[in-house]
Amino acid sequence: MIKYILKRCFNYVIMLFIATSMTYFLASAFMDPRSNYMSRHPHPPIASINRSLDLANINDQTPVIVRYGRWLTGIVTRWNWGLSPEQSPINGAIAPRILASVQLVTVATVLSIIFGVSIGVYTAIRQYKWQDRTLNSIATFFLVIPTAVLGLVIVYLAVSMNNGIGQRIFYVTGLHSYSGGNPFAWFLDLLQHLVLPTIVMTIPGTVSYHLTQRTYLLDTMNADYVRTARAKGLPLNKAIRRHALRTSLIPTAVDVAFSIASIFTGAVITETVFAINGLGSYFVQAIGDNDINGSVAIAAFGGVCTLTGALLADIFSAWLDPRIRLS
Amino acid sequence: MSTAAMIPTGLPADPDSAPNSGVDPNTDKPRSDFKRTGRMTLYVRRFFRRPSAVVGLVMLVILLFFALVGSHLTKWAYDQPDFTALSDPPSADHWLGTTTGGSDMYALIIRGLGRSLSIGFISSIAITIIAAFIGTAIAYFEGAVEKVGMWLLDMLLVVPSFLLIALIISGSTGGNDWIWLIFGLTAFGWVGYARTLRTLTLSLREREYIKAAKYMGVPAFRIILRHLIPNLGSVLVINTVLGVVSAVNSETALSFLGLGIKAPDTSLGTLLNNGQSIILTAPWVLLFPSIVLILLTFSVQLIGDGLRDAIDPYSRSAGKAE
Repeated sequence: MIKYILKRCFNYVIMLFIATSMTYFLASAFMDPRSNYMSRHPHPPIASINRSLDLANINDQTPVIVRYGRWLTGIVTRWNWGLSPEQSPINGAIAPRILASVQLVTVATVLSIIFGVSIGVYTAIRQYKWQDRTLNSIATFFLVIPTAVLGLVIVYLAVSMNNGIGQRIFYVTGLHSYSGGNPFAWFLDLLQHLVLPTIVMTIPGTVSYHLTQRTYLLDTMNADYVRTARAKGLPLNKAIRRHALRTSLIPTAVDVAFSIASIFTGAVITETVFAINGLGSYFVQAIGDNDINGSVAIAAFGGVCTLTGALLADIFSAWLDPRIRLS
Repeated sequence: MSTAAMIPTGLPADPDSAPNSGVDPNTDKPRSDFKRTGRMTLYVRRFFRRPSAVVGLVMLVILLFFALVGSHLTKWAYDQPDFTALSDPPSADHWLGTTTGGSDMYALIIRGLGRSLSIGFISSIAITIIAAFIGTAIAYFEGAVEKVGMWLLDMLLVVPSFLLIALIISGSTGGNDWIWLIFGLTAFGWVGYARTLRTLTLSLREREYIKAAKYMGVPAFRIILRHLIPNLGSVLVINTVLGVVSAVNSETALSFLGLGIKAPDTSLGTLLNNGQSIILTAPWVLLFPSIVLILLTFSVQLIGDGLRDAIDPYSRSAGKAE
């Protein structure tokens, strides 16, 4: 088992290295930090533009391979992901934002797994009954709504509700606004901020887990071993719980592991709608500022998330499914 | 779609499966009292048996109608602001109101709908074509090609494609940006899909007719084109339709973030972005594009689900023999 995981890790590290390097070249080819300065009227002297671009190692007059070499040396020897065009270090900007994003994403993920799997099981047992049909139509509807639309509609409803009641119940921007020392008030304040973004992120997660869990359970519910269990006299509910549900949770666990990266990209929209200063909004800002180093660092972080998910999925399926052999 | 070697549909109309089929074994011609139902007729009939699929189709046809001729129904153009009506609520003159800049919302939505539709359909079709070729080729050649190909596909999936698309379209300027958006969505959208198609090809490549063609010396490219891809036809059709939904969603997300379609051009996502800041003073700027977007994605999804049921031989819309 350990050997298998190590082998996988080694493979993933190589993949991550190549993918990140490719992103670096892609970003260098498509982003033009010089235009940040040239678009000013009057633009600063060319010599000073070149100097500040050189300081951040993003000067397009230096061959890209030389810049890549410097960038890579910085990361490998000093864990330094470079500077933004405004000369602020990337490392210091990313770390606190990861924390904000994780704060936002964790609750939503846990809630959507719990709700999604329960609804999926509920509807699978009642296949083609009215409960199943109704919940499925609702799920299909929410599945296709773009996150931006969902977020903005919820903001609109919340603001109208605040105005209707005449008191601020929901906050639609940021994560904190309380600055006193009372821990209870601080927590209440966090909740007031967190409720709406969490709803926006929980709904799409819930419906996708609902639909997939329903399919997986329906696949296993008609399996031979469940029929055997029924034939031996096990009640339907018990047969489903003990035999069908267990195997159907394996692909769901794999899905959860793989969703780590997609949660992160889904949060980009939510963070923009609710003005939360997380990783997603940092990425949008980096793209807008032609910040090559910043966007590559974010892409690398996204890659780490994907591969962590893939590794977790490997381990989950090896652990849960006795049919998988690790050779 | 090829009619050769499709999966048996298990319907009584199939002459090979029913013992008392209307085929005379001597002449091999159908008897006069026997009428065979064509595959396409069957698909169409099954599709229209689902009310939700019909609703989806009607919705999409209406949206297509408005996207094509809707701009002739109003005197306002999307890029011609009316400075006498800034932030006007919906009225007889401006049917869906105006933006803070005085642009007519109806004209903007028609333009945005056309953009979203063309981006969605073109990139989804392009993704299917690329994924079909690469996915089947990787599975067909087996051995080292398959190993290296799968490794490369996995590697391309490491960095979330959303970030890469945002990266390459950020530099595009107004006018061309929708072409760049299609390019970006296609260039990074096919990878995961090619992986799925490769898995489906694994069982297909072991079939006798593939083996026979191979040993007869048919070139690999022709086997892929003639045998492998047509036999994945149903999957490809369904996924192309459902791919439109995800392409429209990605386009909306990128434009909403200000990275996709930029002024002077417009799309539904760009309109959402404009409406975001004036959500309280001019809610119609946000509400109408949202409704159109939901109608668009929901109708395509309903059509996709209907097609899946119509084409999938294991679907229950064929009815049960009880």
